Amino acid sequence: MKLNAIVLAMTTAIAALALTGCGDDGENGAVGATGPAGQNGTNGQNGNDGRDHTAVNQWFTQGQATVANASETSVSDPKGRAKNIILFVGDGMGVSTLTAARIYQGQQRGESGEENRLSFETFPYSGLVKTYSSNQQTPDSAPTMSAIVSGVKTKDGIISVSDAAIRGNCTSGQGNEVMSALELAEIAGMSTGVVSTARLTHATPAATYSHSVERNWESDRDMPQAALDAGCHDIASQLIDFPYGDGIEVALGGGRSYFMPNTVTDPEYARAGRRNDGRNLTTEWTSKYSDGAYVWNREQFLAVDTSTTHHLLGLFENSHMQYEADRADDAAGEPSLAEMTSRALDVLKQNDKGYFLMVEAGRIDHAHHAGNASRALQDTVALSEAVRVAMEKADNDTLILVTADHSHVFTIAGYPVRGNPILGLVRGVDDSGEAAATYTTDSNGMPYTTLGYANGPGFGFGSDAMNTDSYRPDLNLYNVTDVDYRQEATVPMDSETHAGEDVAVYARGPGAQLVTGSVEQNLLFHVMNYAGDLAARAEANQN
Amino acid sequence: MKFSHSICALFTLLSCSTFAANDTQSLPVCPTTSHQLSHNDTFGVQYQLSGAQHGTLQLLRSQAQTAYYNPENGVAEWWNFAIADHPSFIRVFAKHQRRIDYYTGDLRTLNIKVSQAEMESFATAQLLKQLSHKGPATCDGSQVYEGDVKQMHYRVIWSDELGLPLELSITHNGQTKQWQAQKLIPANEVELTLSRWQQFSDTDYADIGDNETDPFLAQMINQGFVEHSEHAVYDSKGKPMHGEHIH
Ligand SMILES: [Zn+2]
Repeated sequence: MKLNAIVLAMTTAIAALALTGCGDDGENGAVGATGPAGQNGTNGQNGNDGRDHTAVNQWFTQGQATVANASETSVSDPKGRAKNIILFVGDGMGVSTLTAARIYQGQQRGESGEENRLSFETFPYSGLVKTYSSNQQTPDSAPTMSAIVSGVKTKDGIISVSDAAIRGNCTSGQGNEVMSALELAEIAGMSTGVVSTARLTHATPAATYSHSVERNWESDRDMPQAALDAGCHDIASQLIDFPYGDGIEVALGGGRSYFMPNTVTDPEYARAGRRNDGRNLTTEWTSKYSDGAYVWNREQFLAVDTSTTHHLLGLFENSHMQYEADRADDAAGEPSLAEMTSRALDVLKQNDKGYFLMVEAGRIDHAHHAGNASRALQDTVALSEAVRVAMEKADNDTLILVTADHSHVFTIAGYPVRGNPILGLVRGVDDSGEAAATYTTDSNGMPYTTLGYANGPGFGFGSDAMNTDSYRPDLNLYNVTDVDYRQEATVPMDSETHAGEDVAVYARGPGAQLVTGSVEQNLLFHVMNYAGDLAARAEANQN
Repeated sequence: MKFSHSICALFTLLSCSTFAANDTQSLPVCPTTSHQLSHNDTFGVQYQLSGAQHGTLQLLRSQAQTAYYNPENGVAEWWNFAIADHPSFIRVFAKHQRRIDYYTGDLRTLNIKVSQAEMESFATAQLLKQLSHKGPATCDGSQVYEGDVKQMHYRVIWSDELGLPLELSITHNGQTKQWQAQKLIPANEVELTLSRWQQFSDTDYADIGDNETDPFLAQMINQGFVEHSEHAVYDSKGKPMHGEHIH
């Protein structure tokens, strides 16, 4: 089993890195309760010491088997047909978000909206993805993205470490790290990139390059001393110390303060960095990579010569990047998700061995948590534009997947007339099927919006007057289509929650035919691994 | 943000304490001329609320930063206007040694907009322009202003030196609330407090929803502790208190 041989226990891979001298983690693999590393990895046969998760992890073996079956029965691209892989993830982009964003985008163009298609809705293959984590019906981004990029479902809060680990317990994760598609791609000699509008250290991007039993360990300051003492590393440092191949080529997103020491003041804001260990990871990047560049605003970013810069780090905000709706107003200037995708591909495409790129629209999730549909939809449209760029720039040898990690409790209610503003109040049709003259009302005679949330912060604008007789705000008094409007919620909570239903996946390119029907989320890794033959390429490149 | 909201917001914050009133009424503090304070200095003023409502509130100011701190429940709202167009806002929960940081996009989704002048002046900068000047008050460099705005009667003793009221009374429907400056808080105390808050464990507002297993944040989310109205303020059990809004 070649696959098992290379998607081997992480400890083995880490031990191998010590040989090449490019990691400082070698000591993790060599010691510990689990004994000498490497055996299971090389014989690829068993995992009874818990290390070769590829042989014993149920998520991994089941996903592998599903792909093996499908690859025999489908109209089939052979294994390894995809030279490149691009994975797009809309954080929190459930199906209702896609529908609403599709209508929103169409209406922005002056159309009725329903007939519009987001760029990736034109892909030839699609399916539904079950998003539960190994311990929660409704998950967070850490286990879901881990499943997508490593082939293994895990517990909530855990990043690319199998569920043998306990959240927040450093030692429980050691030896249970699971290898990601991006890491395999690097070992295979491909170029790799991570792009996100969230912090690069946030759970979704982090799952591609780091391993952590706690998603909040984004800088050393966020970690308990016991975890540091036990040899766990913060997520930001793992991006810079990335031990595989020749390092990640492109990393673009937010989260600048997690890369800066607390003695340095941010160039855009009057705030200090968050690192207690004194490391300035941005300068480490440029000293580690002689062909590297670090940029922190749009002007610098656009000035980068992508033909000579082969390791590009861009950190455009202290924390998360701006919502798309607010981006133009950013003090220092930020690139759009489409611009970041475009230039990432310019850098990555120069490698004859191919590339792996992950692009996350990270703030759809945050706007939903705030109960603010307008910003969630605008960020979804921004993702659609980023995918359009990839569709134009990527050749036919590229598998493109577009999916979400989880959904939100976001609803589209009845029964607005065709073309009714998607952010607006419901205006139905009359008995002859024509647009009604007045808004549809509830049992209190009050109008309501098409979009709403099952829970969350709820009513309209802050503490403004409500119609207390009806227990709902009188939406006639509100500008419900305003970008800042927060849709109503049934259950009052200060933060709207994720939802547990399936999300969609869309695919085009070699291997895309494997994406069909209703699948487990961890299958997506296996699809990428099959299409790109990542594990075998990685193994071949190692020998 | 509209002026009325600013006042309303502050008074929601300021009126959040429910403990018994201090019987002995202090006189308004007169800033000492020996330590000539100016608007730009680092200092704080502690106000006592009496009359229809009771409470204590500290206003802390250092450069472009202004914080309102309620020592009873340990909750503070801390603004930094270093970049005037994009102020940063932090909500401090001192008893938990935790902070929630709000970035531009967060403030917009919450429709929180404030004016630096209003925040720095105890929400009276706009108010003064609508009141009549009645002459000097007892403290040096302080002036009395009085008048009616939107069915409220205001009386302000304004310190030009501090750029703050030494006394502010608001009468509405026969009920009076009076804020009185009790004591000055020295610069080193203000700096100590701000640097202590700086060390608290912080969470971006945007990240709260992804951290429901954090006991502190879960309490915030489920009890409406973090953000219920545009300037929520909370009692000791984490319940938002809807103070008497003054529009
Ligand atoms: Zn979320």
